[in-house]
Amino acid sequence: MRILRYVRIDPDTVRLDGVPVPVTGRGLELLSELYRNRVKDYPKFFKMDLLCKLGFIAAELLVGDEPDRFVPREDRAVLLVSRTGPLCDDRNYQKTIAEDAYFPSPALFVYTLANIVTGEIAIRNKYEGDTTAYGFPSFSAGMLVSVVKVAFTDRVTTSALCGWVEAPDSDHFEAILMLVDDTEGDGMEFNPENILKIKLNQR
Amino acid sequence: MEELVEQIKLQIIEALNLEGMTPDQIDDNAPLFGDGLGLDSIDVLELIVLIERNYGIRLTSPAEGKQVFQSVAVMADYIAKNRKK
Repeated sequence: MRILRYVRIDPDTVRLDGVPVPVTGRGLELLSELYRNRVKDYPKFFKMDLLCKLGFIAAELLVGDEPDRFVPREDRAVLLVSRTGPLCDDRNYQKTIAEDAYFPSPALFVYTLANIVTGEIAIRNKYEGDTTAYGFPSFSAGMLVSVVKVAFTDRVTTSALCGWVEAPDSDHFEAILMLVDDTEGDGMEFNPENILKIKLNQR
Repeated sequence: MEELVEQIKLQIIEALNLEGMTPDQIDDNAPLFGDGLGLDSIDVLELIVLIERNYGIRLTSPAEGKQVFQSVAVMADYIAKNRKK
């Protein structure tokens, strides 16, 4: 298996295939800036919680210029891993159900599941294959490789958007998203060593 | 009434995260759903919460919501007649 493309986003920096993407904002504004510069046509972005915004933008950077992008396909999986899941949105939702101001927000409630981010990416891109969100106790490149390799054993999946998407709050988040496939050839091998290099901005 | 219409538009923009939109871009009489602002079913629920929180009006049936959320002008008229705060 090989890594065809990869992106890393944190509150201050964006690197696409190892090349810095110029940004002026930071935190949540950085994500909005990327949306305005690179996406533009999906206003639902602004309704998403932080985790979904991060995963969505990372995916847009990876597959935004793919030919035949919106043709429905079953062979591409979306497999994401995080530690805190939608905790940021959980906190915001909890404020709306506080005893002294009980007005539960439906728009916040719909994002209080960790797997919504995989669904948002799949819906946007018309991916009809496997979508799974995993909760890991901490970042683990080895475990990530393991779960992705298992997904490729279903005889349907031939490529995957996969990686680590962690967003506890707007000052602390990290996405390491990769487009991987099951072919041999040019590109980086999909292994823990290379994922760690991407995480450390060494690729 | 004009002031209330303006206020409702601002509240809708904030509650539904209609980033980049200003009150003057929302036609008083345009449908809020479908061809108008293009809102969805979750947005309906958010509007129900909005009018309860801000005006003390509790809608009890979906049919009532469909009627009230036809447009900002209809919303303003309904709120003016039924508001409790």
